Amino acid sequence: MYLLSEALSAMANLSEMNVLLVYRKVTTYAIWLLSGLVMANAQVHEAEFHEKIEPLLQDYCYDCHGDGSAKGDFSLDGFTNLTSHLQDHDLWQRVWSNVRTELMPPSDKRSQPAPEERRELIAWIERRVFRLDPENPDPGRVTIRRMNSVEYRNTIHDLLGVDFQVDDNFPPDDTGFGFDTIGDVLTISPLLMEKYLAAASEIAERCLPDDAGLPKPIEVDGSNFRGGRQSGRFMEANIKHTIGVKKRLDIAGRYNLGFSYSINSEGGHPEGQTATWRFLVDGEEQHRYELDSAKFERKTFEVELDLTQGEHRFECAIVPGEPGEGNGSAGVIVDKLLIEQSGVVGTWEMYPDSYKRIFFKGLPGNSEAERAAYMREIIERFARLAFRRPVDTDTVDRLSALGLAKAGPDKANFVDGVKLALAATLTSPRFLFRSEAQAEPNNPSRVVPLDEYALASRLSYFLWSSAPNEELLELAEKGLLRERLRAQVDHMLADQKAERLVTNFVGQWLQTRDLMNLDIDVRTILKERSRRNAERVFNDGIRRDLKSETERFFRYVLVENRPVLELLNADYSFLNENLANFYKVPDVKGREFRKVTFDEKVLGRGGLLGQGAFLVLTSHPTRTSPVNRGLFVLENFLGTPTPAAPPDVPELGDAKEKLDEGATMRQLMESHRAQALCMSCHRRMDPIGLALENFNAIGQWRDRADGNEIDSAGELVTGEGFSNVMELKSILATSRKQDFYRCLTEKMLTYALGRGVEYYDTLAINAIVSRLNQNQGRMRDLIYGIIESPPFQMRRGDGKRLLNKGPNTPSNKDSTQLD
Amino acid sequence: MALPCFSSLGVPKAAAAARGVTASGAPLRMAFLYVPNGVIMDKWRPQGTGADFKLNQSMKPLEKFKNDLQIIKGLEQASGWGNADGAGDHARGGATFLTGVRAKKTAGADIRLGISVDQLAANYIGSETRLRSLELSCDTVRKSGSCDAGYSCAYQYNISWRSPTQPMTPESNPRLVFERLFGAGSYKERQATLVERRAEKRSILDFVMDDAKAMERRLGRNDQQKLDEYLTGVREIEHRIQKAESFGPPPNPGVSAPEAGVPDNYLDHVRLLLDMQLLAFKTDQTRISTFLLGHELSNRTFPDLGVTESHHGLSHHGRKQEKMDKIAKIDAFYTEQLAYFLEQMKATEDVDGNSLLHNSMILWGSGLSDGNRHSHDDLPIVVAGNAGGKFRTGRHVDLGSDQPLNNLYMRMLQEIGATPDRIGDSTGVLAAV
Repeated sequence: MYLLSEALSAMANLSEMNVLLVYRKVTTYAIWLLSGLVMANAQVHEAEFHEKIEPLLQDYCYDCHGDGSAKGDFSLDGFTNLTSHLQDHDLWQRVWSNVRTELMPPSDKRSQPAPEERRELIAWIERRVFRLDPENPDPGRVTIRRMNSVEYRNTIHDLLGVDFQVDDNFPPDDTGFGFDTIGDVLTISPLLMEKYLAAASEIAERCLPDDAGLPKPIEVDGSNFRGGRQSGRFMEANIKHTIGVKKRLDIAGRYNLGFSYSINSEGGHPEGQTATWRFLVDGEEQHRYELDSAKFERKTFEVELDLTQGEHRFECAIVPGEPGEGNGSAGVIVDKLLIEQSGVVGTWEMYPDSYKRIFFKGLPGNSEAERAAYMREIIERFARLAFRRPVDTDTVDRLSALGLAKAGPDKANFVDGVKLALAATLTSPRFLFRSEAQAEPNNPSRVVPLDEYALASRLSYFLWSSAPNEELLELAEKGLLRERLRAQVDHMLADQKAERLVTNFVGQWLQTRDLMNLDIDVRTILKERSRRNAERVFNDGIRRDLKSETERFFRYVLVENRPVLELLNADYSFLNENLANFYKVPDVKGREFRKVTFDEKVLGRGGLLGQGAFLVLTSHPTRTSPVNRGLFVLENFLGTPTPAAPPDVPELGDAKEKLDEGATMRQLMESHRAQALCMSCHRRMDPIGLALENFNAIGQWRDRADGNEIDSAGELVTGEGFSNVMELKSILATSRKQDFYRCLTEKMLTYALGRGVEYYDTLAINAIVSRLNQNQGRMRDLIYGIIESPPFQMRRGDGKRLLNKGPNTPSNKDSTQLD
Repeated sequence: MALPCFSSLGVPKAAAAARGVTASGAPLRMAFLYVPNGVIMDKWRPQGTGADFKLNQSMKPLEKFKNDLQIIKGLEQASGWGNADGAGDHARGGATFLTGVRAKKTAGADIRLGISVDQLAANYIGSETRLRSLELSCDTVRKSGSCDAGYSCAYQYNISWRSPTQPMTPESNPRLVFERLFGAGSYKERQATLVERRAEKRSILDFVMDDAKAMERRLGRNDQQKLDEYLTGVREIEHRIQKAESFGPPPNPGVSAPEAGVPDNYLDHVRLLLDMQLLAFKTDQTRISTFLLGHELSNRTFPDLGVTESHHGLSHHGRKQEKMDKIAKIDAFYTEQLAYFLEQMKATEDVDGNSLLHNSMILWGSGLSDGNRHSHDDLPIVVAGNAGGKFRTGRHVDLGSDQPLNNLYMRMLQEIGATPDRIGDSTGVLAAV
């Protein structure tokens, strides 16, 4: 048993945590310590099994997995000793997982357990077989995670100020459990390793560009040379004149001037005409050309000049010679002047921000010893940020040796050395992987709180999809992060970077990431022959706005800390004029999105179910799909997915033939459901999907489909009846409230942890759900709940967790360590 | 045996050992082209068997190459069937196709499959070329949300697997494929900085190798496995650098790199990648390639063919004629792409005077036969090329009863000189090809 005193002493030993923090931690964990202190005895368990559980198994399972049959090599009653049977973790875990996801009993079995019966069996397994123990939580184990490409890009951006286009460089990430944050499927193939290496060098190059601090080349078009009514477009050789341009140089130094011009004539082609043309800088002649109307040619020249800082005059002058014979005049067309530095030493002020972040003390010194010391400082400072924790001397030694070897004794090459060290840092597994080393990494009973650096990383990758900033690292260094956790979370959510939580979490939970690339055949949907007319209604602009609507809506709930149920039943959304027109909502003008509250005249809008993004994403390219819509709600809002349709679904042919061509969607679905095999799942999906039939496949409201009035009334499988989508929404937000809380918690926990939800997370999830119940279901409580939960705060060793083992006594060696 | 002249390819003679070559000493290549969601078998299956057969409707584009290929009836990937694992035939179809191994049913934790035939081949002949193997795909973005019935998306987006836990990520950007084969920048630029860049890479790799080893000691089992992937990647790059030194600089491919970015049009995309595959074979940069033309469950639409419904959606056609006709159009589109590739392969002369196609084994197929019923037997399989004269092309081969697709892979491996006892669920070596 995890006694309070033990907990206290364990916490006190953790590090330099102060007493206040200890109490804080204990109160945090007190939630987990409340119940289940009584050791139940085996007899009580067995009696309970016989009385409550065995009958269920007999009714629903033994047909195939008992009474002598063992389908799939799986038997539930082939035991000799009941006590050990009830401790057979592997066996019951299979039951737990299949019953929970409703894979078992198979959907084609006629007798299906009622939801309460399912829950009873699941809860019994959790309580009696898994022995989930709130006093001694199993936080699970998160596999060492490489950054996904979104996180890579953000991390590089936040660390260095370099925008690296991951999509053009890295292969897409594999996903698991619906998210791209899952450590187990984020593999590194040899291809990706090559890309990481190449990216590191490219990023180092872009962070410390060779031309840093140098003035940008100045290009002057000939037409910008002006004087009176004349310009460089054409300098007539029969008029004496001078044209010029003034340019400011930021730095003094040596410049290379490249000039191009050509000889031509206008208004005729005189013979024997001559003139003298000159190019001057600040009144000094740099180039001279003797013009002869017999020779039309194109010329270029270059001059090198030392120029001071400040304004300079660049001029062209022409003086007529022989007038020649014939109409018109020859002349000079000024094409271009290019002013480039050659051997200019730039000033520190002109260096890009990315450069200054690395060379944080300015340009390197003149002595080799100074530079060697600077190299170490640069590396130590950057590696701490890149590795998200302080670095050991050995690492700094190795990296500086690497950099200095490249730099050599020549000061000019110092930056090349830094680039190489930077590239090595960005290729290191300590940068690419978020590892959380711990003592006894292969002992699953060893449960330890995360050290604060690891916690800082979990926090920042959850809320910012990026590395911890200086502030977070400092808090971790001082051991103050846990103590100030909640304030820090608020602070982080207020930061612009929290927008990434919205786009990445919502992008995947609600799949808005897919919206721009989705194949949609608008002409078929709208029965519109003209492509142009169809695209006038639905186009990339609308897609963008739909995506934006859903993201803004979620952000509002997050930032304003609204009850999460508003995601289902809000009476508002975020629209601009374009989207309002598309939805046929009046009185929204302008391009800016704003909060719009709907009155009863606007049908169906408000909440995610009334948003085009959801409605389009769950449609087929040419029509609505009540099945997809229903399934999406079950999977992503209620957390009760149905198993996939069995392969070889009997063909609908017969049923369908009987229906005339004009059969409504509802009639088709009903004919489908009439088959026993299909019914058990479709009666769960279809009513939800059919209630949404008032929205067409691009999310616009309609009263009729194919000439028939849409009947959106129905009844959930759990018994609640509704007559339209508005009522459905309010049912979901009231009587299915607990399902939604749980489902959203599971999704966000999966995203935050980077692993799937497991049986041992049940208690943590229960606690978060009850916290939501106590706080009007506010979004912040969900986020605090996740961050403060044992799976987020702690970790354990790898391997199957042994049951019936004594409690752990964490010691000060137990916290995760610097790696 | 007379060694062929590789000088034009910049390959020193020493590299042309006896592994993975034809009798006349030319490199023997293998490519695997994957098509998703099965086909309408009634419109695909040829009529007649043996040498006397007629191509069916969706195979018509291959008419010109009838004598360069074999269509094999009666191959099965039995690990694709659901059995105790239930739904998820699409994920399994893709996953088992080149492995013949049952995919562990998991949405993310502990993915587990088996090594695929191309990677087995690469273990054997990968050292002969600069690049062990090439993996291509037309899927530039991943769908959000969960994939097929409780299977991680990793199973349906990767057909090539280096180990049971490590998929070989395919490349979908033609320009990047080119750069991987021949380097970035112009040919001249590539040569100029080669040695310097190589030295820099080496010093970075030395550093991170030490880093990874130090880290590995402190990790648990699963984490170590992840880090092993990293270390494998690092070693692979080291090998490539060594090879680059012994093989000399990469050859001049004679063509410029494709434009940056991925073409919007699917057809253009497929063809550009096929061009890259051809270029890789032609210049002997690799002898092994896998190309996922579309991932299982692909919902691609084909507006250019007049098909605006999604491929997977249509594949559950419920025997409705209109839908089946549309699927047949898509099937024909996919055979057309094979025809395009074969055309180029046939027109390119290899070092021994034969065509590239003659010296290749090109397998085209799907992990499902009937997409409506999710069948994993009687798969649609085409094997083009003569394996340097070893394959008897121009036939529709009926094996009678089903046997594992892996038996065919055993045969292909045998042709390159690899003779494992068995791979996946193989039960022997297919002699009938």
